[in-house]
Amino acid sequence: MGTISIEHGDHLYWLGRYTERSFTTLKVLHKIFDRMIDEDHCYTEYLSCFGLSDIYEDNNDFIRHFLYDKNNPNSLAFSLERAYDNGIVLREEISTEALSFLQMAKDTLKKSEKMQNPRLSLISLEDNIYGFWGCIYEYIYDAEIKNIIKCGKSLERLDLYLRLDYPYRSIRKAYSRLTRNLESIPENTPYRYNSKFLDEISNAVESADKYDKYSSEALTALEHIFDRPEVSA
Amino acid sequence: MSGIKVEQFTQAVGNADEINELLRRYGVKFGIYKNGVFKEQFFPFDPIPRVINAEDFKSIEKGLVQRVDALNRFLFDIYHEKNIVKDGIVPEDFIYISSGYLAQCEGISPAKGIYSHISGIDLVQGKDGEWYILEDNLRIPSGASYPLIARELTRIACPDVFAENNVTDNRNYADLLKETMENVNCGGIRAILTPGRYNAAYFEHSYLAEHTGSVLVQNDELFVEDNILYHRTYSGGKTRIGVLYRRIADEYLDPLTFLPESLIGIPNLMEAYRAGNVAIINAPGNGVADDKGIYYFVPKMIEYYLGEKPILKNAPTYLPFYEEDRKYVLENIGKLVIKDVAEAGGYGVVFGSDLSDEKLEEFRQTIIAEPRRFIAQEVIDFLDLPILEGGETVMRKADLRAFVLSGKETKVWASGLTRFSRNPDSFVVNSSQGGGFKDTWVLSR
Amino acid sequence: MRNVNFSFTTKITFDDYVHDHSFALRIIPPETENQHIVSYDVKISPFVSTQQTTDAFGNNVTAGYLRNEHRFLDFEIRGRAEVNSEIKRTDYMPCYLYKSELTAPDEELAAFYAENRDRCSSTDPDTRAEFFSGLLSETMTYQKGVTDTDTTAAAAFKRRSGVCQDFSHVLISLLRMDGIAARYIAGLAFCDGETHAWVEYWNGSCWNGIDPANNCRTDDGYLVVSQGRDFRDCAVDRGVMFGGYSRQLHLVRTELK
Repeated sequence: MGTISIEHGDHLYWLGRYTERSFTTLKVLHKIFDRMIDEDHCYTEYLSCFGLSDIYEDNNDFIRHFLYDKNNPNSLAFSLERAYDNGIVLREEISTEALSFLQMAKDTLKKSEKMQNPRLSLISLEDNIYGFWGCIYEYIYDAEIKNIIKCGKSLERLDLYLRLDYPYRSIRKAYSRLTRNLESIPENTPYRYNSKFLDEISNAVESADKYDKYSSEALTALEHIFDRPEVSA
Repeated sequence: MSGIKVEQFTQAVGNADEINELLRRYGVKFGIYKNGVFKEQFFPFDPIPRVINAEDFKSIEKGLVQRVDALNRFLFDIYHEKNIVKDGIVPEDFIYISSGYLAQCEGISPAKGIYSHISGIDLVQGKDGEWYILEDNLRIPSGASYPLIARELTRIACPDVFAENNVTDNRNYADLLKETMENVNCGGIRAILTPGRYNAAYFEHSYLAEHTGSVLVQNDELFVEDNILYHRTYSGGKTRIGVLYRRIADEYLDPLTFLPESLIGIPNLMEAYRAGNVAIINAPGNGVADDKGIYYFVPKMIEYYLGEKPILKNAPTYLPFYEEDRKYVLENIGKLVIKDVAEAGGYGVVFGSDLSDEKLEEFRQTIIAEPRRFIAQEVIDFLDLPILEGGETVMRKADLRAFVLSGKETKVWASGLTRFSRNPDSFVVNSSQGGGFKDTWVLSR
Repeated sequence: MRNVNFSFTTKITFDDYVHDHSFALRIIPPETENQHIVSYDVKISPFVSTQQTTDAFGNNVTAGYLRNEHRFLDFEIRGRAEVNSEIKRTDYMPCYLYKSELTAPDEELAAFYAENRDRCSSTDPDTRAEFFSGLLSETMTYQKGVTDTDTTAAAAFKRRSGVCQDFSHVLISLLRMDGIAARYIAGLAFCDGETHAWVEYWNGSCWNGIDPANNCRTDDGYLVVSQGRDFRDCAVDRGVMFGGYSRQLHLVRTELK
């Protein structure tokens, strides 16, 4: 085929982002679940990373809103719905198989809501997302298509890691993944990076010290990574 | 059931839920609007197949090929010489009053003269074993993807049943479709045009795109330049499209030729088409041949164009347009089924037996006032098919949509969509009105 | 027979930039049995590559696509033609006998037809066409600005006024109810500086022209630009474009001499 429209390019990119957001959110919630055993309101730190205040009654109330509430843009349910929305219009690019894992992830989440202990069933949700990525590697022959999804994924990961103040080691890994994916994007396409902003990020994550100082600058630069370079008159 | 016992099948399947679970996993859905809100519904699948034995299928196949060939000849004739009208076989009125006739298509010769590339012919089997044609769908018949994916999944769920029975493999549909598209390709890639995710048949559009290796497109990704249809790429380039399998209605296809208010069409697509630079599947204007009023004339077309006797029967049909028929319809309205020719999708179908005397009289007056608007048919006593409901087998009305593909030759897909009604009293089997589907097995011997 | 020079200029101006503008123009007069286009020259601005096809009704269609931003579309045709209304056209199509989008009668127009049809006792299509055209000039007044290009025959008749397009639609509607095939003609005539519209009806063996807005027969002073079931088939320009514009200004000038 080898013909990607602007609309499909956009869906591919956001499919990568939302699938990754679902995955990282799931991972973080796992940790919070664990802390919940020992302490109450153990999620406030997580909320503050997104500038949110604690308006929740207790741990369970928080979980309800961050796992299942489809109207909360920070919830797992929301990210999964958006991943599915972007995926459903890409069937012929990403395969029915890949799509089936997003469907299953949605179904698994829904089922877990009725469980006594949702954590157990969330393990299979993680499997569903691994399955999805397996299909992306297995079924997408076109490297250009695959790479747009991967760019979305690695960009989302770095973005979330920066926001959640992950350790430098993880940031470094996420950064080098992203640059690897960005380098493979052809010039004159919408996902070609703007080198000015990539340089800024690179500078900010050069060392652990710099990262401590400049992580918010890195985050800002990341938002502009696909801006068209200014043309000097 | 041709030597296959229902019990054998239901035991092997164990529970229909398993297969429905698989169908759910693969997202086999259709869209529906309820109170103005779009919802995706899973299309309920009944695991007991409709079984057609090899001999029966051979005759159905011959009959369908004959019918579709005649319909294609008719369409070419209507948009060119109109001999069938000149020779008095079909009254002129029936052509030009039909909303499916598009004057804008006059004189266009589609690639290789094919108008209906994919025909969905609805049949029912009577209690007497005889098959009757209920209607022809030559515009954008949908439904082939459902039995296609259901077969894939039932073979996983109950391999033994397939090992023991000689069921013709139906998983060649995408290849047949691809061949049909390639046969008329005017040079370029294959594309399937969908109105978007919120269309009832979106699952099918995307599934067929995936399996035929076509690009699934919406109108804003396309443009016509120098009478050539292009796909606009994200890098600012363009890729030529040689064949467009469109799943939007004729009237919306090109706002510069048809409805100016269409927001889902491609401006100047008809110019590219007329210039022979792109094939459109199915051809615009086909509605004139699957009009409920034209249905009456199809057996006559077969004799006229092919010089053959029709192999498959129409349901006995009356046209109130003819005085003699009108008299019969008015006298027997209570036992007939009346169809409004302008309606589709199971709407506009009225059973005389459901109406009060008062309503019947009202209906008679409507028919007298607008005889061209209706056709009347004898109610066929269809053969009921077993379906599973809560572990029990119950009998329900079902029809069969057979798919006929006109490429280098005309081929009938050895399967089809069997739809059944959930409601025990209903004769209307349409997915948009509830109900589910079955796989259709054609035995190879 | 008469030699005529014709010209036709249209300027469409948008109040904001538009892009991805597809258009189809029907401005090149067709070569027919009674009109020979000796020469013509089309100019379109901004510069754009165009293609010619002939549509179902025999009209020349000029199609183009302007991808980049622009604020206007101007097109102009100038040419020379020989018109000979003595010769009659015979390109019959049965669809001209059936109602179309803009000519379908409503109850009022159908009743008007039923009341008046027997006032003309002749069965000859020529006489009947003249009768109905005469009837219209008694019933409707020519008035600009009260109807637009989407006005149906029924709506124009209801207000008993309109322009040449409306007179033509109403006459076509009456003729078709009377079992006479009729078609809409868009063209240029000596009488005015705008595009004109009139009617051709089928008299059993050929098309004859009649101008209901002037209640007269057409002659060598009428140049056909396009024909169809009603105005929709004959629109000089149809276009689809994208952008933040809110209105377009149309300026048309025609000349026939």
